[in-house]
Amino acid sequence: MKSIPHTTRRALVASVLTAILASPAFAQTTSEVEALREQIRLLDQKLRVLERNIEIKDETAAADAKKLPKLTASEGRFEITSADGTSSLRLRGLVQADGRFYLDNSDAAQDGFLLRRARLIFEGKFSDRFSYVIQPEFAGSAVSILDANLNTAITPEFNILAGRFKTPVGLEQLQSDPVAFFNERSVATNLAPNRDVGVQFHGLVLNKTLSYQAAVTNGQIDGGNSPADSLNNEGDLTYSGRLFATPFVNDKDSALQGLGFGVGGATGNYRGSFSNLGSATASANPLLNAYRTDGQQTFFRYRSASSLAPTNGVPTVNNTTIADGTSYVVSPQAYFYSGPVGILAEYFYTGSDVSIGTGASLNARTLNNKAFNLSVGYVLTGEDAGFKGVTPKTSFNPSAGTWGAFEVVTRFAGVDIDDNAFVDPAGAPTSLANANNSATKVTTYGVGVNWYLSKTVRFGLDYFNNKFDLAPGGKPAPTATSGGNKALLDDEKVLIGRFQVSF
Amino acid sequence: MKIKSLIAALAAVALTGAAFAKPVELLNVSYDPTRELYVEYNAAFAKYWKAKTGDDVTVKQSHGGSGKQARSVIDGLPADVVTLALAGDIDAIAKNARILPAEWQKSFPHNSSPYTSTIVFLVRKGNPKVITDWNDVVRPGVSVITPNPKTSGGARWNYLAAWEYGKRKGGSDTAGKDFVEKLFKNVPVLDSGARGATTTFVQRGIGDVLLAWENEAYLAIKEFGADKFEIVTPSLSILAEPPVAVVQKVVKKHGTAEVAKAYLEYLYSDEGQDIAGKNFYRPVSETAAAKYASQFGSVKLFTIDEAFGGWGKAQATHFDDGGTFDQIYLKK
Repeated sequence: MKSIPHTTRRALVASVLTAILASPAFAQTTSEVEALREQIRLLDQKLRVLERNIEIKDETAAADAKKLPKLTASEGRFEITSADGTSSLRLRGLVQADGRFYLDNSDAAQDGFLLRRARLIFEGKFSDRFSYVIQPEFAGSAVSILDANLNTAITPEFNILAGRFKTPVGLEQLQSDPVAFFNERSVATNLAPNRDVGVQFHGLVLNKTLSYQAAVTNGQIDGGNSPADSLNNEGDLTYSGRLFATPFVNDKDSALQGLGFGVGGATGNYRGSFSNLGSATASANPLLNAYRTDGQQTFFRYRSASSLAPTNGVPTVNNTTIADGTSYVVSPQAYFYSGPVGILAEYFYTGSDVSIGTGASLNARTLNNKAFNLSVGYVLTGEDAGFKGVTPKTSFNPSAGTWGAFEVVTRFAGVDIDDNAFVDPAGAPTSLANANNSATKVTTYGVGVNWYLSKTVRFGLDYFNNKFDLAPGGKPAPTATSGGNKALLDDEKVLIGRFQVSF
Repeated sequence: MKIKSLIAALAAVALTGAAFAKPVELLNVSYDPTRELYVEYNAAFAKYWKAKTGDDVTVKQSHGGSGKQARSVIDGLPADVVTLALAGDIDAIAKNARILPAEWQKSFPHNSSPYTSTIVFLVRKGNPKVITDWNDVVRPGVSVITPNPKTSGGARWNYLAAWEYGKRKGGSDTAGKDFVEKLFKNVPVLDSGARGATTTFVQRGIGDVLLAWENEAYLAIKEFGADKFEIVTPSLSILAEPPVAVVQKVVKKHGTAEVAKAYLEYLYSDEGQDIAGKNFYRPVSETAAAKYASQFGSVKLFTIDEAFGGWGKAQATHFDDGGTFDQIYLKK
């Protein structure tokens, strides 16, 4: 077939197209296309608007979400934090269920179980400047407030703490109880003042290598919490302070990064008192504490008459020892933590003016008591030991083959009571303490194991041997009814087990 | 004697400490379209302050819809300075948070507005919907992009400019309201801020016209190209006076009162005014205004005081809960 020439073909196509474009049918098609195009444009706009509205809604929701308070609920942390992170309320808790079993001593306290601590702790902050703690204790015969204080951070280096808080003296006393090596603090802590009411200035200085605390408080006798009433004598206040250095804390490569050492101390003026003397309701407020063993048995107490009622019509105060002047405590202290190893050591030296009797029967002395504590721990599973405790790498989960963390601990501690406490002066006065129911020295050996089942659950099993030295002539009576302290008849050998939840 | 020595030693330490340069940080809470302006200005001020005092100053920025930003400051956002879209938002901070004085606007020249701006139209290249003035944006079938007046300062300027145009055309506030009602019938999307509205129009391709801050419109042209958009200057618009203020209670707490005041004062300097002009704001200094006059279109401007009796009255009438915007938009 003969082909059409190129020029002819072009002319033919042009003619056909012209004819088509000029036809009414094509005009109709073009307007339809335009209409369809407009329709598509409008649909496209609607789709874009829908997409944008969804986008804006999501952006708004995300922005609004940032303004909502944040609720954190995980193992070990229950906290509500404001959107900007400056205010928070954290709920913490501590439950310690103990079992105490006294070995080879039929005269010791009764074996059994007890709720040692049951605390709900509310802590939080308002802005980054103000923080607070409220800590009620539910264990025991009555609910009490252990801590209730407000901290104001003027600067990171200068804070003011007001309310009820731990007096800044003893190292182990200042350590949080749930993370201490042993289920009970050492006997040395008997000489460390505990919680008190007042105001404290504290902070971290020198690039956070030195912490300082200086407190002015109502006052308290060693080893005890302050009572509701002031212990001060004639308005005097108790002054306490502590300096603690961690010179290598910022040097991550240093083997001494976990070294800390310092000294704490306190001094106050205390005077016990009697009331209603001469009547049947006479009573004493001696402002003196008894000292306890690891097994929580009393190994030392000052004389305290069971009754101050007049004898043959004559008032008597001769059988009760009271605080009677200045009291002070000094405590050099140190810790060292490196990898799984932890060591805590402290020493106490106290001076206390105490007296018994009046007039010619007065026996007033300054007693100098001493105490020490050396505790060592080793985490068998390799976690780091620390002053703030051990965080297990795994939790107890036999099906997953994980067992948590294990730590072995040991302790050597003691308290040496001034022998003058047991001296019977010539004449009518009597000794400040009764050698038959108080030891002049206690030496403690302890071993234990801590099983960290999770970040919050710990089981601890400790064994303590408290060896008592009695003052010359001291003869603990075989039974309590004879007036002696039967706990001193033999060394205290006690097994203390504890299940603890702390978050 | 010992006490005297101690005081002398402490004074010596204090004086020695003062001799060292110290880092200073400010938070400037601003509105959406000022991002580029303050990036350039903050760098210039830091250089100036370093030369003057030896101190390194870092200015952190926070941007968003002006109303939302004011709300955040009221709710506790610790702004050292606020540079918002309209005086009403700073008035709200003064009234509700009481962290700056009620007469804050007297602190700096020109009612504390170091630069001004106005509202113009950004349309697609070729102006396919033939939009030349406010009348055209209320035509049926014209899709208009403007942010939400409840949260955006720019949107409130847009709203008031449209209202005044309608009012002048119809001769009454009722006419102004009808005009704005028609306009909002053409608004398919309400962004919370001016920058979001620009995104809707420019990047998402929605709408035929964007009611925009003048500087925002010019920046869009500069960034996305004159081959895509063009600016239409209406016959009448409003003189927008974005104000600035030091948040007194915050700077007192932060110890930044001196540097915060200097930061805002420097906006009035030759360099500050030049930076404002370069970023398409209308400088208040005569020299800088003359230098940048040619880059802006010719428009008849009215002030909010003339037309609405000031921001307090305008806010209460139009934008507070139950105001004319609620009446119009809730009906829509």
